[in-house]
Amino acid sequence: MKASNDRSTEDRSGPDLDLDHFLIEPDTPRPVMISPDQVEPADIEVMASLGVYVTGEDRAGTYILRDFHPLCLVAQSDDIELLPIAEALAKYDWLRERYYWRAVPADLDRYTAQCASVPEPQGYFLRVKKGAKVPFPVQACLYIARDDIAQAVHNVVILEEGAELHLITGCATGHGVRSAAHLGVSECYVGRNARLTSTMVHSWGPEVEVRPRSGTIVEAGGTFVSNYCSLRPARSIQTEPRAWLNGKGASAKYTTVILGSDGSTIDTGGEVYLNAENTSAELAHRAVCTGGHIYQRGLLIGNAPCRAHVDCAGMVLDAGDDGFIHSVPGLRALHADARMSHEASIGKIAPEQVAYLQSRGMEEREAISMIIRGFLGEEIVGLSPELDARIAEIAELAGHGGK
Amino acid sequence: MTNILEVKDLCVEVDGQELLHGIDLTIPEGEVHALLGPNGSGKTTLMMTIIGYPEYKVTRGQILFNGEEITGLGITERARLGIGISQQRPPTISGVKLRQILDYVVVNAPQRSQEIDDLAKAFHMDPFLERDINADLSGGEIKRSELFQLLVTHPRFAMMDEPDSGVDLEALSLVGNMVNALLSEEPARPAKRKAGLIITHTGHILDYVHADKAHIMLDGRIGCSGNPLILLDKVRECGGYEECIQCILRRREG
Repeated sequence: MKASNDRSTEDRSGPDLDLDHFLIEPDTPRPVMISPDQVEPADIEVMASLGVYVTGEDRAGTYILRDFHPLCLVAQSDDIELLPIAEALAKYDWLRERYYWRAVPADLDRYTAQCASVPEPQGYFLRVKKGAKVPFPVQACLYIARDDIAQAVHNVVILEEGAELHLITGCATGHGVRSAAHLGVSECYVGRNARLTSTMVHSWGPEVEVRPRSGTIVEAGGTFVSNYCSLRPARSIQTEPRAWLNGKGASAKYTTVILGSDGSTIDTGGEVYLNAENTSAELAHRAVCTGGHIYQRGLLIGNAPCRAHVDCAGMVLDAGDDGFIHSVPGLRALHADARMSHEASIGKIAPEQVAYLQSRGMEEREAISMIIRGFLGEEIVGLSPELDARIAEIAELAGHGGK
Repeated sequence: MTNILEVKDLCVEVDGQELLHGIDLTIPEGEVHALLGPNGSGKTTLMMTIIGYPEYKVTRGQILFNGEEITGLGITERARLGIGISQQRPPTISGVKLRQILDYVVVNAPQRSQEIDDLAKAFHMDPFLERDINADLSGGEIKRSELFQLLVTHPRFAMMDEPDSGVDLEALSLVGNMVNALLSEEPARPAKRKAGLIITHTGHILDYVHADKAHIMLDGRIGCSGNPLILLDKVRECGGYEECIQCILRRREG
């Protein structure tokens, strides 16, 4: 089941990180995990703003990683198995043999190599048992609470045949944390006729460097839906999600929402390999640029009779002289029956749209908020309270800064 | 009787070009006026200036609403004073649903949510509530969508830009009913109406909606005003506005 790659990540934007600048290995012993009600109120507040509710109401499971160590782990459903990845590797030999580093190669780049080299892997293992349709989401929070550390996380998610799960992941720095690095590897395995919805929200301090790498393998009839939203951009984010649709009728849909700002470089990738008959894929990139550099990339590779569409759309609002959005939707058809399409558009908010909504009684900033929400799409809007707060901030900025 | 709208000596320019040259227009409370005239005569410019679109710059004159000067106010403030507009070509806004706009209008009056559904049913608008605003609509559907928003908004003074253009005969009757419902102050007293201004090029809407007075615009000026039926009969009899134009020009020169 090993994934194959035909390129590394060297052609991506964003600085090469000097990992020596960061504290990479734990300088404290692994503490005993605590119960959710012992999590510090300030941390709870940050997590809740991302849609991770520590109290665990309406959640099937909770995993919180704080800096280098698991802080809290609760599984409230017999249908799931949730463990720190280090424990899971010790418990299951098959995990290393069949899944660990099989969807993301350890030698993909220096950041995956770094994740592979930490003495005790950080991150979680999540398995949803065959046929289980988990009614509530499982939530994970990868949280950086101190300056100048490099968190190197490795997660493995396995949905067995016919299983269904919504996974919510919030990644953030705590109040006052400015500089850190987050390196992450996520490997997802979606079994036959299984369905995984992954919603990930990032909210980082202004000098944080973020390098997540993910690989998802989808078997016949399986569905993978990914919603990724970057709310408060770090200094640089470079995502590299890849999916292999290896079974007949497998599908993947990625929706990526970036709210950029001055001083940040965000490069969101996305590659889907359509390797089997009747597979389908859709990549939708949405970016709102109020400064900084945003790259939207997407590449669909049709190796079989399939349908695929990639759509990049950007909105530029008062982005200064230096701000830009660069869109690169890509298609590679390697089969005569691969039906593939792409589109890209970048523009500002049309003043006549704002005026139209104002003529119904809205304030200018309310009108701009409504237009941005519409632009970002239904899948993303409402996924976290912080998103609403950020849209309101951007609308305020756009309203006062001139459209 | 107080005047809901007074436009005095209004000059307006867009992109540096003067389009309105000294308009005077008074609409008393409870009266509905029709604005007739050939394409490009400035009818829409006048309406967009009254609601306050920023690209329509007032270079002289003033606009009073209910006795208060509004010339310097923004669109939002004018809308909140009770001026409503139904546009001829409103913009499409991707991802923004008609229902979201209506929900905004009634956000402080949740009891009116039911009213949206009732009105939608009555005017066959329910299929459009969950669609992107103005996206992929026919000419008639756009007019109905615009009037529907005004019906929910309850403006004190409604301006309608060509509610009859691009509307087939069957839909025109529905549009006429919507306009009458919009202008109706109290259903039991049909003679008591809200004030309104209706732009019409063809005059078809006036077969369904009574107008108290009509004005013919030409080249950014109001050329003549009078009884809507008489003016419209003349326009129709002459097969268009050419005769009006000649008449107005003769009077100007004379």
